[in-house]
Amino acid sequence: MDFLSQANSLPVYLICGGVLLFIVIMCVIFLVKSYRAGLKIGMDPKVLKRAITSSATFTLLPSVSILLGVIALGGTLGVPVSWLRLSVIGALQYELNVAEIAATSMGLSGLRLSEMNVSVFTTIMLVMTVGILSGVFCTLFGLKKYLGKMAAKSKTETKPTEKSRPGFGAYATIAMFVGLCSAYIGSYIGTFTSSGDYLPLTVALISAAAMGVFQYFTVKKKQAWLENFDIATSMFVGMAAAVLINLAV
Amino acid sequence: MNQQEKQTYFTKFNNQLHILGRITLGVGVILMLAAPFVIGILLDAAPSLNGFLKGIARVAVIYVPVGIVEFLVYAPMLGAGGSYLSFITGNVTNLKIPCAMNARDIAKTEVGTPENEIISTLSVATSSLVTMLVLFIGVLLLVPLRPILENPVLTPAFDTVVPALFGALGLKYFTKAPKIAIVPLAVMTLLCILVPAAISQTSLLLIPAGGLALGIGYLLYKKGRL
Repeated sequence: MDFLSQANSLPVYLICGGVLLFIVIMCVIFLVKSYRAGLKIGMDPKVLKRAITSSATFTLLPSVSILLGVIALGGTLGVPVSWLRLSVIGALQYELNVAEIAATSMGLSGLRLSEMNVSVFTTIMLVMTVGILSGVFCTLFGLKKYLGKMAAKSKTETKPTEKSRPGFGAYATIAMFVGLCSAYIGSYIGTFTSSGDYLPLTVALISAAAMGVFQYFTVKKKQAWLENFDIATSMFVGMAAAVLINLAV
Repeated sequence: MNQQEKQTYFTKFNNQLHILGRITLGVGVILMLAAPFVIGILLDAAPSLNGFLKGIARVAVIYVPVGIVEFLVYAPMLGAGGSYLSFITGNVTNLKIPCAMNARDIAKTEVGTPENEIISTLSVATSSLVTMLVLFIGVLLLVPLRPILENPVLTPAFDTVVPALFGALGLKYFTKAPKIAIVPLAVMTLLCILVPAAISQTSLLLIPAGGLALGIGYLLYKKGRL
């Protein structure tokens, strides 16, 4: 049995589905308890229902985008593990970056289906899971204390009268992503100049061009809803180009 | 229920939520950690300790600080229930935070009130359930498409999924902060052209590249040029 057939086998679906079922139960318990508590403190049931329906509709489009991520990741890690990873902690950017790092740490040239085997697959899965746990551990062991401190602080603080400049935190994530993208793009240019392999660079450029089209419509034409699809669709354009280039040469 | 009774009830409710949150989050983490090992046993290939240690050392340098900062920034915005759910279901920045903010705007609740916390929890729980439902339906629909997805013609597409992601992300973030981007992009490109051996170590290059971008970003921020 080849690797992808093993990664897409029924037992793997059942294991991933079992973990997700637990998280579904967790969400339902929190939902029901909070709804009842809202009624108990005198909140209008209409307001509570509106919060639920508006959140459901708000989530629909981004969820379709996450589903596209499952397809993108599913080609190398199989559908069930991609389904699990994109339903729990993290996001597509994190999962792909970490899968790539884990794959190269195992001696692969990258996250390539042609080089994958089951041992690499389970190791990648473990690295993906452990690598994102810092926020969860903070929540698990420090949330109650931290929220208590923040509540006490907000009671003693007076509200600022003028709008202050946002902190560096707002720029730190952007800077971090700029750094990650620089390293990858630099490596694609280096791959092209050193070995003549133009495919990674070409795919990156085509995805970037597709993202440029999205940026035009979301920023210039104010079609903000398109932002839900910008990354996943741009990726698919680049990946489709890879197939066409491979067929053409 | 007067204000005093409401506050007392909500404090008790919140304490219960913390206990429930810790238990369910703990069990959830154990299940997620167990999954690779159980799959490994089933497929007769356990995770490699050496590969895991090498991989996690590189990943942790980048993502441990990110996780801690996300917790510090977003937990007060989400409240107790919203935090327990958001930090296990993920997509915090791109989905859970805007979704909870939207629900609060619609419900017109004020920050720091019990009503606000209830709305946040309802919003995050609903959002998580809808995402999981959409993915479940999508995965069911993908099953009959498996022969197409596994067709060798599509292999180049899946082999270039990472360049496709970083091409798209690159444009998005370089245009957001071009002043931060110029130096790291130039340095990394030059390094990979002049020292081709560095290309196979891209996962290690991420660390100095991220550090360089953060340093430049901080300097520009301090000078008020961002």
